[in-house]
Amino acid sequence: MRVYVLRRLLQVVPTVLMITLVVFVMMRSIPGDPVVALLGDAYTEEDAVKLRQSYGLDRPLIVQYLIWLGKLLQGDWGASILSGRPVLQDVLIRLPVTLELIVLSMGVAIIIAMPAAIIASVRPNTWSDYTAMTVALAGVSIPEFFLGVLLLLVFSVGLQGALPSSGWVYLPGTCPTVVCITGAWGNLGHVLMPAIALGVGRAAILTRLVRASLLEIVRTEYVTTARAKGLGEGRVVLKHALKNALIPAVTVMGLQVGFLIGGAIVVETLFAVPGLGTFGIDAILARDYQQVQGFVLLTALTFVVINLIVDFTYSFLDPRIRYGA
Amino acid sequence: MYCRRFFFGIAALVGLIVLLSDGVAVAGEPRRGGTLRVAYGNEIAHLDFHTAPGYEMMWVAMNVGCGLVNITPDGKFVGDAAESWQLSPDNLTYTFKLRKNVLFHDGTKVDAAAVKFSIDHLMDPATKSGMRSFYDPVHSVEVLDPHTVQIRLKQPYAFMLHMLAAYRTGLILYSPTATQKYSLEDRKQGKPGAVVGCGPFRLVEWVKGSHLVMDRFGKYFQPGLPYLDRVVIRVIKDPVTQMAAFKAGEIDFIASFSPEHVDTVKAQNPNAQILTGKETTPMLAAMKVTVPRDSKPMSKDRAPHPIFGDLRVRKAVGCYGIDRQEVVKIAFKGQATPWVGMNPPGTLDTVDVNHMCPYDPVRAKAMLAEVGYGPQKPLTFELMTNTEKSVFNVIATVIKEQMARIGVTANIRLVDKVSWMNTTLQDGPWDMYVEDLLSLITLDSNGYLSNTTSTWSHPRHADTKVDDYYARYAREMDPGKRRALAKELQEYMADKLYWNNISGSPFFMIAQPRMKGYVYNAEFEVHYHKVWLDK
Repeated sequence: MRVYVLRRLLQVVPTVLMITLVVFVMMRSIPGDPVVALLGDAYTEEDAVKLRQSYGLDRPLIVQYLIWLGKLLQGDWGASILSGRPVLQDVLIRLPVTLELIVLSMGVAIIIAMPAAIIASVRPNTWSDYTAMTVALAGVSIPEFFLGVLLLLVFSVGLQGALPSSGWVYLPGTCPTVVCITGAWGNLGHVLMPAIALGVGRAAILTRLVRASLLEIVRTEYVTTARAKGLGEGRVVLKHALKNALIPAVTVMGLQVGFLIGGAIVVETLFAVPGLGTFGIDAILARDYQQVQGFVLLTALTFVVINLIVDFTYSFLDPRIRYGA
Repeated sequence: MYCRRFFFGIAALVGLIVLLSDGVAVAGEPRRGGTLRVAYGNEIAHLDFHTAPGYEMMWVAMNVGCGLVNITPDGKFVGDAAESWQLSPDNLTYTFKLRKNVLFHDGTKVDAAAVKFSIDHLMDPATKSGMRSFYDPVHSVEVLDPHTVQIRLKQPYAFMLHMLAAYRTGLILYSPTATQKYSLEDRKQGKPGAVVGCGPFRLVEWVKGSHLVMDRFGKYFQPGLPYLDRVVIRVIKDPVTQMAAFKAGEIDFIASFSPEHVDTVKAQNPNAQILTGKETTPMLAAMKVTVPRDSKPMSKDRAPHPIFGDLRVRKAVGCYGIDRQEVVKIAFKGQATPWVGMNPPGTLDTVDVNHMCPYDPVRAKAMLAEVGYGPQKPLTFELMTNTEKSVFNVIATVIKEQMARIGVTANIRLVDKVSWMNTTLQDGPWDMYVEDLLSLITLDSNGYLSNTTSTWSHPRHADTKVDDYYARYAREMDPGKRRALAKELQEYMADKLYWNNISGSPFFMIAQPRMKGYVYNAEFEVHYHKVWLDK
């Protein structure tokens, strides 16, 4: 197991580096560079050339990448070309916000999906099943942005500000800046709509997957045996069947993190949440290469680490699965 | 017993008067205190006021910083750090007397040396300020005594005060002490201590993508001001979210609101203050006039653009082929002015030249046929626009449909703002674009967008007569003669279509009913020092 863990951890490094290299090249293929955004209406070709030289943007791509990598190995994530702000500082301010949003979104998804999937699987081809699947289909069909706008109109506008429309309140003790509002209830109020907007689509996917998996598991011999032994249906499903049905679901949940990060960009922009999503999209639109690299690096790391955790969860769910054999 | 009742009655009356007057302001009397919550639709680029692009930065600079003069909505100049000024008889020297009680937020004095330092800093090519070209007429800045500074000009310049007041940020004074102590990167990042102005508010914190907070500067030189304790600016990009936040009372002021949603805001918030005025920003369907003959960007060796190099094609497409009324009706729901002249309707010395470009598709087709375009040889061009404002795409779509009526195919290319800037500023390949560039307080401020030597003169016309017009206009000190020159220039530009205006681009600000004291002056002057909250 230890060897397996070490091997997987070592695999993270080339994976993340490859992602950053691909994005590095892609960003520089898009028309425009940060100097255009930086100079704005002060743009002259003469000043632009000098600025590009000062930021090393006139060097060959591979040299730029190696310089960035070299600084990264020393813990220097660089500074935003546009604002001069250290990338790592801004990323660390925003990361907890997006992490909270992603975790809560997944929580919303699980809270919706599990009961729906269980009910649908134990009562297949009934109204409960049809209802759960129809709702799942609707959930996966509605884009996060559209659902977010609907939630805004209902809870912020329609219900006279029942939930705040935008912004963020930090959890007590987590304020990263000089001026910010903290409060558990305030935080919940601000994260609820974005989490629902993001989570509903994931819930739909999970519902369908867990239902399908459960339907297969409940027909297996050991479940039949459990029933034959006189165990209640609830115990049979929740204690014996569900655990095995969760293995593919856990895999998909790990992969869903990627979609959640992408969805977070849209939802954070809509609700003006100061997370990594808005950080990333602003960086891409402004061609702020350093910020983009920081965003991509952190996103890639998050995705890879979460999937690593997902892999390790398998052996907990199914003791038959062992690693490093 | 009667006396006791009498005195009780008097006492009760007095008590009632005291109770009622305590905390109840006289109607219209400003109240001190409170936090103004402002929403921006775009991010602040950075906080080095002399170099950062974007209105969002400018509106912060106008409140954290101060300059020599400001301009009122009716065009009058009022002193800021300067209490008075004089122009010499030969129109070459401005002498400013500074107020004696103006301080920077770091406690240092705003004196003549600081003014000289700030202007020299702006004029220094190493600073790379977008305002440098505005100071071309300035020969030097001299300190006569600690409270008297002279700006000496190379030639008379009729718009010196306009420029100091409102070209971009206007002049923003920098503290020499803070500028020397902190680096450019410190200012850009918004490190408190580095971003030092002499305005009514001092910077507390800027967290990019989250908020900017500025607090009352207790030693502001105007006694009693500002009324507000604090201004908090948040970035809310989506107009639907802005509307929701405004309706829910989470924000007090939207600094720049999308025109296509104004009617919705009015319907949702009947008591909201909708602040707007005559347009000062042009909405263009610009056409490229020349291309580099040797294919090298910005080459001085120019050839006519293969399509719009011919004036007849420009007139057919841009003049007679575009129904400006229809564009305004569809894109702006009638809330803009169809306009041909390069100077928008609200800009000084503007002239209505709409009669020079009436919508006439028959004439447009005839002109195209004259050049050789028709069913046998259809004209096709690319219409570029960017994603900065959704209205650009709407206008492009309407123009596309209008082009189809005259047998022309316009293929829309939608890019993001940086790509658009990259293409236009670097003399890249484009045919026509829809954009609204920036707001113009005077025709003179348009010079750097349309002179032959300017990088921002995207059509790349090589007509030096335009340069000559601008130069004469800027130097003409007689207002009557200046207006005549302005008329000539605008008619000339409409005739040559180096600029192809469609309409004005309207500007809206939305304020809660409780926000009082704000003086609307378009994008040029956004000041919160006299704002108070009537709660």
